Amino acid sequence: MSKGILLFAQNNHSVDYIKQAIFCAKKIKKHLGLPVALATDNPDYLEQKYPYYKKYIEHVITQEWYDCAQKRTYRDGTMSNRDLEWRNHNRSTAYDITPFEETIVMDTDFIIGNNILLNAFDTDQEFLIYRHITDLNMDRPDEYRFNKISDRSVDMYWATVFYFKKTEGMKFFFDLVSHIKENWSYYRLIYQIPRRTFRNDFAFSIAIHIINGFQRTNWPKVLPGRLWFTSDSDVLIKIDDENYTFLLDKKNWEGHYHIGTAKDVNIHVMNKFSLDRAISEVLANE
Amino acid sequence: MNKGFCLLAQNNGKTDYIKQAYALACSLHMFNKDQKISIITNDVVPEEWQSVFDQIIPIPWSDSAEDSDWKIENRWKVYHASPYDETVVLEADMFITSDITHWWEELGKRELFFVSNVRTYRDELVTKTFYRKTFVSNDLPNLYSAMHYFKKGDTAKEFYNLLEVIVNNWALFYSKYAKENYQNWCSIDLCAAIASKILGNEKDITDPNSFITFTHMKPRIQGWYNVPDKWTKVIGKYFTDEGILFLGNYAQTRVLHYVEDEFLTEEIIEKLENGKTLLS
Repeated sequence: MSKGILLFAQNNHSVDYIKQAIFCAKKIKKHLGLPVALATDNPDYLEQKYPYYKKYIEHVITQEWYDCAQKRTYRDGTMSNRDLEWRNHNRSTAYDITPFEETIVMDTDFIIGNNILLNAFDTDQEFLIYRHITDLNMDRPDEYRFNKISDRSVDMYWATVFYFKKTEGMKFFFDLVSHIKENWSYYRLIYQIPRRTFRNDFAFSIAIHIINGFQRTNWPKVLPGRLWFTSDSDVLIKIDDENYTFLLDKKNWEGHYHIGTAKDVNIHVMNKFSLDRAISEVLANE
Repeated sequence: MNKGFCLLAQNNGKTDYIKQAYALACSLHMFNKDQKISIITNDVVPEEWQSVFDQIIPIPWSDSAEDSDWKIENRWKVYHASPYDETVVLEADMFITSDITHWWEELGKRELFFVSNVRTYRDELVTKTFYRKTFVSNDLPNLYSAMHYFKKGDTAKEFYNLLEVIVNNWALFYSKYAKENYQNWCSIDLCAAIASKILGNEKDITDPNSFITFTHMKPRIQGWYNVPDKWTKVIGKYFTDEGILFLGNYAQTRVLHYVEDEFLTEEIIEKLENGKTLLS
């Protein structure tokens, strides 16, 4: 069975997700040694701006560009933020577009630091996903750890990174995610989600809940390892090979941080601006 | 052995416990074939509701709860009033959502059994101790009497005899066995916990890993950050024609202790009455 990683990158006016994807693919090559497919609505930009991308990305999948009315606030630490387009609607196409029979899909701001995820290919499960995050910032209050998609609602699963096999069951799952996405205003009311913004995490969580017969079960199983996480209130200040140094938001002290480091971990860096600054240095010599 | 369910129900000025007991009996019949249910009460059970009960039994001796709102003073009498060799006691504000007949086999291995591992409506184990402070600080068994079991015999009789003494002298016993975070009202859960502590039988009468449990709808144990005074204010309920009860986004499969009277609407009762035929 063919195995590989699928990334999605759709830039907005301020965040270069394609650049993140190249850095992400570089780390995948180093730690997982798997082929990478990139789905993007701007392949020309990829070719022109990053001509060396073929070192890390084997498949480029062109996706249709569409206008996006959805916005979200992107923070750069606690003192700076911008409202930008959030073009995240294509995740449910993963089943149809992946060139692999077994695929790990991951966000481009998810940095691979070890080979633990290779174990996902050694199970008989058709779907693996993280149920919990491990916050690098232990100072953050519990309610920001997203155990549920809202206070009264269902268990949160993280679409940041997940594994699937091409099976009939997974086809059904992705069709259901698409249905939820298309009827988001209905589902967000039923599932008591205050914000209007569509999130893949929420759609995946709702689909899992529905498939489980509106109950908690032991499906799906969790991906191997931990999903480390830093929020966009934290700031990535340095990447030194496999060492990452962050300024972590200090509780009740806006604009103040404590320092934290992570090494050899798989970590989701939600502050896109600081990630961009840090990977610029890493990719400077490509 | 003769087995059945006993519901002790006494109306007060606020709540129609007879109606709740009737709905509970309907829900039991809906999912559990050929079960015997007795109601213990001194109140009038409307004629049209009587058929769901195997027996209607008056409260033995005098009504010890005549002047009380919560009417728990008679609870210890269930042992003496039950017509069954093996009895599951249920509080009236409970609701059955599935077949629990297999419980009899498991419960039959015990002389007495109390639940000590209640769940939230999202089927998570309750770990918050907001309503159990006095149990924790006095190292008392975490027993829930809303659903419990006894087999008639010396063990259960000894327990209920002691429970009678504790209920009738609760302030005295609380001052000795539950003086930390003192609770200034009588509750059967706390009295049962003290009885268990005195008899040293916790390991024999409960199991925190048991599958025999129920969903408890007190709001502060639901795992919510913003806690309402009643759960009914923040999540919806929906009882389908097929007999599936939803609370919020969750289908309920366990015995439900719904706590709030307003849960039990005429619409739900009507569906329960129509659902009597589900198993036939």
